[in-house]
Amino acid sequence: MEATYTSIEGKSRQYYLALGVLGAIAVAGLASFAVSYLQGHQVFGSSNVIPWGLPIVIAIYLIGLSAGSLILSSLTYVFGQEKYKPIARVAVFLAIVLIFGAMVAIAVDLGRPEKAWRLFMFFYLNNMTSMFALNGILYGGYFVISLTYLGTILANKPKLTRPIGIFAVCWAALVHMGTGAIFGFIATREIFFSPVKPFEFLAAAMVSGLALLIIAVYATLRLNGRSVSYEIIYSLRRLLAMLIVLLLLLVTVDKLTHIYSPSRDAAMFLLTGRYSSLFWSGQIGLGYIIPLIILVHPRTSKSITWILVAAASVVVGIFFERLALVLPGLAYPLHYYPGHVEGVWGQVGSFPIMPVEVVLSVGMFAFLGVLYFLGLKFMDLLPPPEPKPTREPQPAGEPAANEAVPSGE
Amino acid sequence: MAKWGMVIDLDKCTGCQACTIACKSENNVPFGSPEEQERRIDLFWHKVIAVSNGEYPGVNVELIPMPCMQCDHPSCVPVCPAKATYQREDGIVMQNFRRCIGCKYCIVACPYGARSFNYQEQEDREYLRPDLPRDFGLDTKSYIGPWPFPHRTHGVVEKCTFCFHRIDQGLKRIEAGEDIKIGVDVVPACVEACPSGARVFGDLDDPTSNVSQLLASRDFIRLRPEFGTEPKVFYLPQ
Repeated sequence: MEATYTSIEGKSRQYYLALGVLGAIAVAGLASFAVSYLQGHQVFGSSNVIPWGLPIVIAIYLIGLSAGSLILSSLTYVFGQEKYKPIARVAVFLAIVLIFGAMVAIAVDLGRPEKAWRLFMFFYLNNMTSMFALNGILYGGYFVISLTYLGTILANKPKLTRPIGIFAVCWAALVHMGTGAIFGFIATREIFFSPVKPFEFLAAAMVSGLALLIIAVYATLRLNGRSVSYEIIYSLRRLLAMLIVLLLLLVTVDKLTHIYSPSRDAAMFLLTGRYSSLFWSGQIGLGYIIPLIILVHPRTSKSITWILVAAASVVVGIFFERLALVLPGLAYPLHYYPGHVEGVWGQVGSFPIMPVEVVLSVGMFAFLGVLYFLGLKFMDLLPPPEPKPTREPQPAGEPAANEAVPSGE
Repeated sequence: MAKWGMVIDLDKCTGCQACTIACKSENNVPFGSPEEQERRIDLFWHKVIAVSNGEYPGVNVELIPMPCMQCDHPSCVPVCPAKATYQREDGIVMQNFRRCIGCKYCIVACPYGARSFNYQEQEDREYLRPDLPRDFGLDTKSYIGPWPFPHRTHGVVEKCTFCFHRIDQGLKRIEAGEDIKIGVDVVPACVEACPSGARVFGDLDDPTSNVSQLLASRDFIRLRPEFGTEPKVFYLPQ
């Protein structure tokens, strides 16, 4: 079976409108980054109690989406499941866009973003015992490997694609486990500290990546008049339900371990304290329970609309999972000395919602949307609009080859 | 090589905060506005916490002055990706503002809350007192420390340095032949300022130093020993 791919033409009014709106939001985000750079991080909600705010939450969220998306592309290119072929290219491209976004998010969270290059001076200026420095290798390598992977796919070189695909998928798994290790290895923060964290992050990555892929593929194909193969979405639905159960198990083990020991104050703070609604409503409710009910209920599980609702719920819920890790984990006060630390030093941290930070965060997502739309226009990522392709695939690698492609809209 | 440590006698401490103020003025740490304090984005190199146990009328409040613990096995040093936080040979944990990229990972990793992030451009831009010579006569070329970064900028992490500049200056004077002793004639600003003499500074490796003798003669505690960080700030309980 020889699947073919084309780009979208991208000349319609809606396309330019979407691009324009997203571009404007992205520019607003850039402006708020300039404000945060000139004014300092006082314009963010973070403080010396909760030093990490929304940009870090977004970074780990995007890394998860990216790694998950790339791992799923392996279904086609590594395991040879032909039925997923129409969505495989989009999956790889999405992974590249998202990891780029994650690196941008980390850079804007640095106090001195102009020194971000120091994160990539491996073994020379870097302290390689730091999880951040190790993740620099993982993220940078991941970016390069996924680009190569996409290159071989676009150039139609299946012999090269398979080994690179295997390598890329293993690397993607490492990337997200490394991200989990950033949190899981910190003994000081009891809510973070857990050997399960890397695996929990990996499972969350696959869940959120799959859910986002379902939405992105459906929306992209549908809006561009491509036929949507319902069979793909039904089988992905089963995979999604299984992965959610796995993630739920890992989270349960993690929290139970923390609750079981008598020093359970931090875990109880997470479950009942100031930020517990993030955990219960966001992570557990939106992320796991609601989608699981939709995906296993005999009626809703047959409906594409409901599956999309479940996927959207997962994508939002996993964002809350990141929030419910970072904020309570840091807000829980440090107990310097046995007893009740009085006054400001013993207070639970608060995280005010600051306009600049919110605009910056939304702007980052809009920027990724712009990249995604541009990619659809300039690369052959989608199956052709007609079910029966008449042309050979573009002999490509050359993104600009779309000029000769038949109109997609 | 000397190993600098501090002993704080909680029996003598009155909680007057002279140490906090002395630290702020010695290192020109900004005082912070009430709004900054409310949001907890002000800088503290030294703090005094009050810890209560029990309920009124059977309540006991202890005052714990907390500089950086200058841990022997610091948890902030291994997490720094940019080698900005490092341990000197004499055990002082330093922060190099030139290298610091502001990722705040060290703040997350420190169990003692000893680190603060510079959230905004500060009015007091000098790290040093302007009445003192800029480089303290130190060899800035071979020396990697906060200096020669000239000004305090927003976006880097700061911390207590045990007033290393005083110590280094004192060592130079000893080399030059002056008859002084570090820990007696040269001490960090917080030790110098303590009106009740609750703080003692000296060389932990020297069995004749006043810190070693205090630790040998009295029961002592260290904060949060469960993390295995081996702090070099010791407390003599009440």
